[in-house]
Amino acid sequence: MKPSLNWVGKRVKRIDGPEKVTGELKYMTDYHFENMVWGKVLRAKYPYARIHSIQTEKARQLPGVICVLTHEDIPGFNGFGIVIPDQPVLASDIVRCTGDAVALVAAETQEIAEQALRLIEVDYELLEAITDAELAMSSSAPKLHPDGNIHSHVKIINGDTDAAFKEADIIIENTFYSPRQMHAFIETEGGWGVMDDEGLITIRCPGQYAYRDRMQIARALAYNPELIRVISSPIGGAFGGKDEITVQIYLALLAMYTNGRPVKIHLSREESVIAGIKRHPFKVQMRTAAKKDGTLLANEVRAVADTGAYASLGGAVIALAIEHSCGPYKIPNVNLEGFCVYTNNGISGAFRGFGVNQVCIGIETHLDMIAEQLELDPVEIRKKNVYHQGDISSMGHVVKTSVGTFKTLEIAENCDLWKNRSQFKKEVSEPWKKRGVALATSFHGIGMGIGLPDYGAASIELLPNGKFLVAVGCEEIGGGNGTTYAQIAAEILNCDISKIKVVQGDTSKTLDGGTVTASRSTYTGGRAVAAAAPKMIKLLTSAAAEILQVPLSDIIVQRDCLTAKEESLTYKAIYEYLYIHHKPAKVEGHFLLPKEKVEIKGSGGAPHHLYGYLTHVVMVEVDTLTGETDVLRVVSIPDAGKVINPQGLEGQAEGGAVMGIGYTLYEDVIIEEGFHKTKNFTDYIIPTIRETPVIETFPVEDAEQTGPFGAKGIGEVVMIPIIPAIMSAIYDATGARIYHLPATPERIFNALKDVKNKMPNIQGDKNDE
Amino acid sequence: MKELNFTVNGSLHSVSCHPAKTLLDVLREDLDMTASKECCGKGECGSCSVLLNGEVVCSCLVLVGQLENEEITTCEGIGLTANMDVIQESFVEEGATQCGYCTPGIIVASKAFLKNIDQVPTIDEIKTALGGNLCRCTGYTKIINAIQMAAKKELQEKGAMPAV
Repeated sequence: MKPSLNWVGKRVKRIDGPEKVTGELKYMTDYHFENMVWGKVLRAKYPYARIHSIQTEKARQLPGVICVLTHEDIPGFNGFGIVIPDQPVLASDIVRCTGDAVALVAAETQEIAEQALRLIEVDYELLEAITDAELAMSSSAPKLHPDGNIHSHVKIINGDTDAAFKEADIIIENTFYSPRQMHAFIETEGGWGVMDDEGLITIRCPGQYAYRDRMQIARALAYNPELIRVISSPIGGAFGGKDEITVQIYLALLAMYTNGRPVKIHLSREESVIAGIKRHPFKVQMRTAAKKDGTLLANEVRAVADTGAYASLGGAVIALAIEHSCGPYKIPNVNLEGFCVYTNNGISGAFRGFGVNQVCIGIETHLDMIAEQLELDPVEIRKKNVYHQGDISSMGHVVKTSVGTFKTLEIAENCDLWKNRSQFKKEVSEPWKKRGVALATSFHGIGMGIGLPDYGAASIELLPNGKFLVAVGCEEIGGGNGTTYAQIAAEILNCDISKIKVVQGDTSKTLDGGTVTASRSTYTGGRAVAAAAPKMIKLLTSAAAEILQVPLSDIIVQRDCLTAKEESLTYKAIYEYLYIHHKPAKVEGHFLLPKEKVEIKGSGGAPHHLYGYLTHVVMVEVDTLTGETDVLRVVSIPDAGKVINPQGLEGQAEGGAVMGIGYTLYEDVIIEEGFHKTKNFTDYIIPTIRETPVIETFPVEDAEQTGPFGAKGIGEVVMIPIIPAIMSAIYDATGARIYHLPATPERIFNALKDVKNKMPNIQGDKNDE
Repeated sequence: MKELNFTVNGSLHSVSCHPAKTLLDVLREDLDMTASKECCGKGECGSCSVLLNGEVVCSCLVLVGQLENEEITTCEGIGLTANMDVIQESFVEEGATQCGYCTPGIIVASKAFLKNIDQVPTIDEIKTALGGNLCRCTGYTKIINAIQMAAKKELQEKGAMPAV
């Protein structure tokens, strides 16, 4: 029998809850200093232009201005970017999007800083903006970067698709378009920078990897990274949007010129919309072949992603998209290709789901279309084609870690919504509304792919008050990883969770443990804590044996204390002993994420060793008069391995589902000729509480052997299959297929009209544009 | 610059600033009360919600010059960690906060909503009352649960509902 667990697997309340619900918690953008100054960024006036000159004299002379900085004031390398640093910190000779920074100002007040920005004269020569990714790929298009406009190209070939398409009984082919989604974190980018008398620079700015932010700052400043401290946690929401540098380098540069006064930048929402990265809009062409019995034979994919003006993580996004483009299925013949393309449309980068959102709409819609034509049940066709642990994936590699898809489908077909769907569909709220129920399944890699460092690190320190300080680099992004770390530590140390304090995201207090991205922080950080905790037990036990002068084997680790025979020691007493005897009270735990050994040729880092899986069932109601669609019910069935905190898992499932609803039905940042037409939440509509459906979460608790207590990851896959599930539910309700997201009332209305007119061809790209 | 007097969380404050400064900026910069957040600056998101004489307002849309002798309540005034309001306790219990940046505004809006009703609100009533507060993390489900839980607890305390 397994030993029972005290903390892991329990609905432990968030350890940061009280500070958050009272507003006492200080975010980086909340700090206020007496002698502060305000920093502002001058953004490019045009999406694509040459800069002939930048005149700053008038701005410098404005009373109250402390400094005005341009590219000439950058001591180090004028560039940043996670993979290749192709984005200038401050533009020198060219601007490639309206988010480009041209100059920085620090001033006594925000108003003076803004006025100073208006006094900076930039002489631009306008160039014709490239705003279409396919056009940008053509040989005649002007080159936005020295190596051309195709930033990356991935291609995976397995089997023989030509032969397979000849054998096929059914072939489906469509083109899918997806929008430029905005992260819409509630806390816009911002923070503080200050330099002290000894040259130590402190940057307080929410980010998803403090150590990498520090490296990028140091590179731009040509400054010893040891003299830079980055505090990046807590974060007021990020979802990938604070993975790249936001304002950290601006803060550090300004801090060098403000005579030791702290400088604050906090972007307005309007500036955040223009300067912040977005989800890549994709065009996905897909051709899928199957046998009469529903066995998938072949899949061809060509995806083009608009990465905007700079690389950021665009190459990795398209690689992950292609890796996931066949779904969690075993398709023996595939030919998959993706292009990541530069344009002048803002900047695209990391966003929850990381490319998988855009491709899963293709394969899942095709599964439903094939099932319908062959008169197969949508669950059966998926069960027939999913891979299991030990099977060979569509890419041709053996999947060695846990795979929960089949179980999620079993739960899906037995849930109330699916079983009783014909009844629910009859219960329309108005006679002109129609309801549909559909399901979809997807997956998402956990951690980085092949070729990237991926490790977790944690430290645990016994404090003078007898509590333990658990320090993990991965920031508290909102998902509750800090509570998870506390649960794992308390479980192994056998103490009450109130004895655990957690610190995250601070280069002076936490070890380098990688990013809070890629659905990795519970898995990787959790394993690191689980590696450190037994060392702390050993440290406590050794000290206790010395104090009590008994053999080590006599020491028993009890709840909140250590005992030997009749005697008991508190943690506080042990700390005092260690302190007096100058012995260390801190341990470290390290974990290397397991990797696949062989990279799939041309894939750019596939496969991942580990994936999380999830099936969504949804019910929608479509107003046939207006095209407006409501999602009424969602069932989310994740395979995240062992669930460390069911309440936290539900929180991810619920938040992810609603973000997926926004992506499918409402959200798109409109950019025309390189200029953002979307400005703020007045014209960028995210779901409110009124759009939230009834959401149920039924996790498949299939333990993954390599994870902490059997856990995997959850953060991204929670928003993925709901997207095609909603699209298919709209079809189930109305007979209208949607190929272009978001499925706005207008698009649905037009699709309904086409169905009504019995257009002979209702295929995507032909009818949609 | 003008000297302005108003009450925040029960204490009289005297602030010397431009009367066109927003209440949100005054709270955050002059009074160091940072529970109220700026997110959109346009009255769209509710992150800066405070009570003005008991009614919910977006503090980014209120100018401090309008506030002479008025009463303001911020999230800090509803309860601090040492003495949390039943709404705040329910939010912690239900896991209704994630990144937490929108949470103080939602607590304020929930307080204003619940003080005027004496039954457990329906989901639809909560959706109407909280429609002006954006949250990007939670999907709102646990927020709905937390508000219902808080209403139940308050009724139980009043003896209007049997404790379960």
